[in-house]
Amino acid sequence: MEKAAAAAEEEHEETWAWTWGAGTDGQLGDGGFQDHHLPQPLLLNPHCRGRVSFVAGGGAHAIALTSDGEVFTWGRGTHGQLGHGNLENIPHPKSVKFFENSTITCVSTGWNHSGFATDSGQLFMCGDGSFGQLGTGDNQSRNLPFEVPFFTSKHVEKLALGMRHSLVLLKDNSVYGFGSARRGQVGKPASKNQKFYNIPRLIDGFPNCKILGLYANGDHSAALDESGQLYLWGRALVGERDDDQPRAAFPSLSICQVALGWHHALVLSGGELYTIGAYRHQKHNPTLSDNAVVQQLNLTTTSSTHHESSSISNLEKVPSIEGEQVAQIAAGTEHSALVTDSGALFTWGWGEHGQLGLGDSCDQVVPQRVNLGNRSSRSSASSLGVYCGSGFTVAVSLA
Amino acid sequence: MSAYDEVEIEDMEWSDELGAYTYPCPCGDLFQITLADLRLGEEIARCPSCSLFLTVVYNEEDFADAKEPPQKVAPQPVAVA
Repeated sequence: MEKAAAAAEEEHEETWAWTWGAGTDGQLGDGGFQDHHLPQPLLLNPHCRGRVSFVAGGGAHAIALTSDGEVFTWGRGTHGQLGHGNLENIPHPKSVKFFENSTITCVSTGWNHSGFATDSGQLFMCGDGSFGQLGTGDNQSRNLPFEVPFFTSKHVEKLALGMRHSLVLLKDNSVYGFGSARRGQVGKPASKNQKFYNIPRLIDGFPNCKILGLYANGDHSAALDESGQLYLWGRALVGERDDDQPRAAFPSLSICQVALGWHHALVLSGGELYTIGAYRHQKHNPTLSDNAVVQQLNLTTTSSTHHESSSISNLEKVPSIEGEQVAQIAAGTEHSALVTDSGALFTWGWGEHGQLGLGDSCDQVVPQRVNLGNRSSRSSASSLGVYCGSGFTVAVSLA
Repeated sequence: MSAYDEVEIEDMEWSDELGAYTYPCPCGDLFQITLADLRLGEEIARCPSCSLFLTVVYNEEDFADAKEPPQKVAPQPVAVA
């Protein structure tokens, strides 16, 4: 009887956080180790409801950050990236005990590494360090958060982690990078043989602008300044030519949000959504629709040593969704997600592991609406946040 | 279907556990190619979890007689209290 009553109550208890997609390392945080093609309840502690402010998705692990600075990690732990002091995969969100007396303000995830910035400007890293991506001066991996000594006398505000590299923004507006340097993602290597940097190094090339955000995924790096100017460096999103210094991209757009995949990027500008690059797994580049606008825009740079051919990039407009404005965007390795201002969720791109949440493993070239089940009128009116890991997606009711 | 990407062998990591060179797959798993494959001149690294595969760029002569992985094994995670 008691059991039935509890089950009934649980059924009544409305889901407010969901995950779907690849799940074999526990990255769905639903208690299991398998893929799901439809949204599953994410087992975040009920006391987090309405307090989750951000979720970072890595290769096969994730970090949830709450508005009061608490962090939870789950998924693949093989390199210590969950920060719990072991190498276990954990299929449900677990509070990171190391930070119980700290307030975390920014988190990010790479392929197998994790970063945490505190309200006092300290930077802690854990996980795979074999490419120097923990910035600790060695190539050791760490299974507990480790304070990066380089930044102890500096104030870290933001961070963004890519596949094997890390970017850090300081309060004084300087940008640092460390980890794999093979594609120019942490700036210009001192020599061609320099494959990685395990000590943070300054990335130059932001002329007199206030940087508001950093972005990294795959071997790509990006920054956004307060005027809405986007800077790109690292592996080329279009073409073959990598950039080892930040390059101002799409100067005609005033960009407010950026999301990077491994071969594509999304940018939101004036309520319009654009994609750069293409989903790599598909045989042919998708044409979004007949009315999709393909623009060729010049990239500008302070250095003029680049070939003409590499300074052109495809920017493709995503058709507007039932007349709604796009409120938020996210990108996995090869899939994309957006939330509209009315709180509707859409996904598109690669779907083989169910990461689109549409109930199948099909790919989609245009955004498709995801059904999150019986959200009550109260929660559907509240805003939704969407976040992507490599092959999985997380959605959270924000209030 | 064409290769997902092209990767140089020096960008792959040797895994003792898998007995293979590996590279991250966008699904979350790893593309893998064994030493035996390389000795035979195979240039496709497959992911055990999905349909994607990589083209591996390497010098065949480097692996013709290889018994041990020629690259350094990735450091193992250490506990730091």
